[in-house]
Amino acid sequence: MNRVHSDEHHTGIRQSHSYLPFLLVLLVASAIDLTAFYLLDRIDLSPPARTGAALLPLPGNIALLLMILRRIRRLDEFQKHVQLEAVAVGFLATGVAVFIYGYLQKAHAVGPLNMGLVWVFMLVFYAIGYFAAVSHYK
Amino acid sequence: MKNRMRVLRAEKDWTQAQLAAQIGVSRQAVIAVENGKYDPALPLAFKIARAFGKTVEEVFLWEDGA
Repeated sequence: MNRVHSDEHHTGIRQSHSYLPFLLVLLVASAIDLTAFYLLDRIDLSPPARTGAALLPLPGNIALLLMILRRIRRLDEFQKHVQLEAVAVGFLATGVAVFIYGYLQKAHAVGPLNMGLVWVFMLVFYAIGYFAAVSHYK
Repeated sequence: MKNRMRVLRAEKDWTQAQLAAQIGVSRQAVIAVENGKYDPALPLAFKIARAFGKTVEEVFLWEDGA
């Protein structure tokens, strides 16, 4: 029985206590993103400085990516299964949405595609995929 | 694949959350496996069986065509 208990450390049980570091990195990365946006939008910088400002968010975003990967590796096999379905729905539905948007653009029904909109598509479809998977396995 | 988890859990008087904590998975996982909606991989099947003090075959029942 002891061995069964020790397995908790490799699963999703422990992750519920580790939100704080993730939120902190998210906060810092967002602050750096906003700073870079402000520098590029409002301050008159030289071309090399603009490139530097544009790359400023990179380390924070890589740190976020690594933390998300770490969290995914700690999920139990069922949670990984649910995440796989959610990510698949998010990825494929975003592809379809961008594809259709391209045709609408050709038909002059909509303006040029804003890259921020792609993120919104991805997040919305990921959420739909997640809740669909959770309700499917209930 | 069918399983006897609900019966075995009742015999032990464990909640789904208690079983989940024992085998180190989320309660969602226990619910999905117990309801037959999700077939666990071998390591999880062994963990579940061992938590009940049973063999995998005593907990999980393979049905032809499943």
